[in-house]
Amino acid sequence: MAAVIEHDLRVFFKYRFTLAGLISMNLADLLIMAVVFTNMVSFNYFRFLAPGIVAMGLFAAAFVIGREVNNETRRGYNQYLLSLPLRRSELVVGRMVAGGLRGLLYASPLLVLAMMILQFPTSTQLVLMLSAMYLLGMGVSGLAISLAVALRSFERFTTARSLLYLMLVFCSTVFYPLTALKQIVPAPLVVLAQWNPLSRVSDLIRGYLIGTPAVTAQGWYELLTFSGVFIFVGAGLYAIAIGRSVR
Amino acid sequence: MHQYSILIMRWFFVVVQIGVFGLAISRLVVVMDNYYYYYAMGVIVMTMYSVAIFTGYEIYDEADEGYTEYLLALPLTRRELVLGRSLAGGIRSFIFMAPVIAGFMILIGIVNPLRVAAALIALYGFAFGVSGLSITLAVGLRSGDSFDIVMGALDAFIVRLSSALYPIAFMPGPIATLSKFNPLTYAADLFRWSLDFNVQYLSNPVTAVVVLIIFLATFNFAGVAIYERNLEGGAWK
Repeated sequence: MAAVIEHDLRVFFKYRFTLAGLISMNLADLLIMAVVFTNMVSFNYFRFLAPGIVAMGLFAAAFVIGREVNNETRRGYNQYLLSLPLRRSELVVGRMVAGGLRGLLYASPLLVLAMMILQFPTSTQLVLMLSAMYLLGMGVSGLAISLAVALRSFERFTTARSLLYLMLVFCSTVFYPLTALKQIVPAPLVVLAQWNPLSRVSDLIRGYLIGTPAVTAQGWYELLTFSGVFIFVGAGLYAIAIGRSVR
Repeated sequence: MHQYSILIMRWFFVVVQIGVFGLAISRLVVVMDNYYYYYAMGVIVMTMYSVAIFTGYEIYDEADEGYTEYLLALPLTRRELVLGRSLAGGIRSFIFMAPVIAGFMILIGIVNPLRVAAALIALYGFAFGVSGLSITLAVGLRSGDSFDIVMGALDAFIVRLSSALYPIAFMPGPIATLSKFNPLTYAADLFRWSLDFNVQYLSNPVTAVVVLIIFLATFNFAGVAIYERNLEGGAWK
């Protein structure tokens, strides 16, 4: 399984153009957009957005594995993977773990930046934040893998990915507090924003670094529920997809 | 199908940006009354920029598919080829955004034909210049990967270092200075001025027109020069 994880991490850092674009976008949002909006709103938007950018960067980085799995499924690469001296379960679990690690590795420098801007947490809080980020990374990888194998066509996959990205990023508390969203979207979308794992992780990091909103057990339950569901669904669908590739 | 899905996604992206992000963030803004309209107009110009920039990507696709040689064999001068592509890039961006622009103008009640024409000319001039910039960079960089990374970084910083999303009046010193050298600032402000937005938050329209003319002339002429130098004899591969 370690070999699968190592392979996926090495591949991830080969996407240097994707990563460069992603880093530019995240830094521009935080260091330019947030700085200007701080002069326009009634609270320190820069401090508010820093944790949101960590969650958003993690989400985008963890989602990259979906594109790889989609390519592999379409191009018959799964047959090669099955020929390796690995158990199928090791392959599936290895990829999910690697997906989470990719997100965590990408977002960790952003978290360090957020801590420098806001405040350094206690070691317990740091462990809890990293755990939340890893859970989100694994859940997002599971979601990406589920989409990748369910929608084999590349066009459908990229369309679904973009729709999901729009829905999860804009219908969340990454860029604005839930109170602002409540004023403009219908109730079902407010519920989605509350349950949205990006909101959960953004708010958990905010809770640990700036104290508001307060960290609650419910926030953790919601994150665990999302991650648990998509880790199992993603793993199950991926196992079925690679099994089908030899029939 | 591929083109349709891209088009629909981009429209959807514009609608979500204006209809969700714009509304939510305008609830937080306390320094100006009609920030929502300011933001929506900026998103329209910003999207024109993103669509026009795709002209450069097509140049790489054509080189990959061997289509560049065919274009060079046509009875056209290189200048006609580059200018034709820039004009087409502008028109294409314009057609793509037409339903959004029309919907927005109806929504805010702009019916004065002079104002509508001025707004459309500002948008088209900008898209024409961006297509020229995209062609210049595509043939100048010669590598699809380098182009990709430059465009990714440009997209992130050009938009944020401009008045597309927020007025210069609220930018801290260094950001305000950089945004004054950004053509997107002048395109967005000229578009807003044409639609009768409060001039307090906008650049001088005469300056904006001059900057946009310099921008489109510079990058289209540079595009012609670099295209001629880099494409002849199959050197660009």
